Amino acid sequence: MTRAFWTLWKREAGAILLSPIAWVLLTCMALINGFSFSQCVAYLGQGVRELTVMQIYFYIFHFWFLLIILVPILTMRLFSEEYKTGTIEMLLTAPVRDGDVILSKFAGAFSFYLLLWIPSLLGLAVFQIVTHNAVPVAWIPLGLSYLMVTLVGMLYLSIGLFTSVLSKNQAVSAMLSFTIIALLFFTGFLSYLVRDPGWREVLTYIFTLEQMRSFSAGQFDSRPVVFYLSGTVFFLCLTQRVMANRTLKG
Amino acid sequence: MIRVENLTKKYAGGEAVRGISFSVEKGEVVGFLGPNGAGKSTTMRILTGFLPATDGQIEVAGAKLPEESLLVRQRIGYMPENVPLYPEMRVEEFLEYRGRLKRVARKDITERVGLVLDQCGLSDVRKKIIGTLSKGFRQRVGLADALIHNPPLLILDEPTAGLDPHQIRSFRELIKDLGRDRTILLSTHILSEVEMVCGRAIIINRGKIEASDTLANLAKRVQSGALQIEVKADPVGAREKLAKLSEVGGVVELNRVGEWVSFEVTALPGKDIRGEVDGLIKRENWPLRDFRREKARLEDVFVELTQE
Repeated sequence: MTRAFWTLWKREAGAILLSPIAWVLLTCMALINGFSFSQCVAYLGQGVRELTVMQIYFYIFHFWFLLIILVPILTMRLFSEEYKTGTIEMLLTAPVRDGDVILSKFAGAFSFYLLLWIPSLLGLAVFQIVTHNAVPVAWIPLGLSYLMVTLVGMLYLSIGLFTSVLSKNQAVSAMLSFTIIALLFFTGFLSYLVRDPGWREVLTYIFTLEQMRSFSAGQFDSRPVVFYLSGTVFFLCLTQRVMANRTLKG
Repeated sequence: MIRVENLTKKYAGGEAVRGISFSVEKGEVVGFLGPNGAGKSTTMRILTGFLPATDGQIEVAGAKLPEESLLVRQRIGYMPENVPLYPEMRVEEFLEYRGRLKRVARKDITERVGLVLDQCGLSDVRKKIIGTLSKGFRQRVGLADALIHNPPLLILDEPTAGLDPHQIRSFRELIKDLGRDRTILLSTHILSEVEMVCGRAIIINRGKIEASDTLANLAKRVQSGALQIEVKADPVGAREKLAKLSEVGGVVELNRVGEWVSFEVTALPGKDIRGEVDGLIKRENWPLRDFRREKARLEDVFVELTQE
């Protein structure tokens, strides 16, 4: 990584942490995660034996719902704000490569995204302490779950970054990325409805919730890894194309 | 330092710049003049590698655009119009960030930041958050940013726009100072600024270059000033006699005080009518109490070259 990348990353991460939105997101995420976690515990209390607390946690729907809304809010300002205030002109007339700018913005948002997941780990830690480690932590399923969260986050953030470069207007960017991410997420549910086995196969391939279920059960599958990574690269490249054409005038 | 040939920039709606050619030599301070919307900012953005040109050859600071864009950006200091800055950063922190982006060596950063803070009169506000600074100080931060990597060429887009008269004055002094050991291209639509700071002006209008010359030569291109005289004579007769002179383009009566009458006499382009008018006054034996020539101002040049 170049020096420019680190300099830019530092400023991106700093800008996110200095914005009120970051702290609102962190608080909301902690609240909803906490609520969701306590529901999981309550569910376990009904005598469920075949699932671990983290499996239930990652399968519960409202955490996904949060993710779909959170990413657009996090990424909408990345480029839109720079175009709106004109700072993009200052940024791109410094000797930096477009690639460094895009990757640093992506990495800045991604770092904050990872930070958002810390409260959920704390929840698990508290759970283990309170239950005196009655059921030891299953490290592999736990690691795979967080790997999945990371991969999904990368794809969603790259979509958000891409829509941010499309418009000067943050609300427009947020709405666009919300739509793309929501469509991507909900399309998977069609696999419950279609009869044709070929289509069902295709739909399962992008069905995030099902992939998460198998990952949190400790079953690794390389297909989602390839899907999310290539999707991320695809949207980062699209971002680069749009930026190179500079269709927006600062 | 800058060599531009046949530069054209087309937008979806039309042409912003139509095949302009000009050059700026090392050490020059050149004013880039034109009415609003003439294509000044577009040209500057192309020179800094921010916008791609539709057509034309461009060489800035010894590197070709767009092929060597990184090299060009490394060698120029650019201050965009309206000086966009990150409002949440502190002045010092911002300049350090910009210095690192512009590849100032790690060990030199603190020294460079201190130097440009001093140079731009920012030492007292170095710890302040940019968002809280006044327009004048923000403008200075923009200039400090352009200077941080000690570039040989400065491109300043309307550097004094929006400042109050005091700030404009001190800003001009600053630019004059900088011009001693740097090449500067600055755009403006304030003419007195060019007269005070620049050695040469390029006048652009509706995407085309109308003139590019030293200020003195530009002044020669329009009427070489008007002559104001005040004599004791018959107003109507004197006016007719003045108008009949071979090199006089026009006579306007300005004012009568008692028997005294004053005229503004304009010359035909490129002519000097002082001798001719003086001769007439002596022949006619008119008592004379005022005789002065108004120098052609850049404003006249500008208006003449850019009028519809």
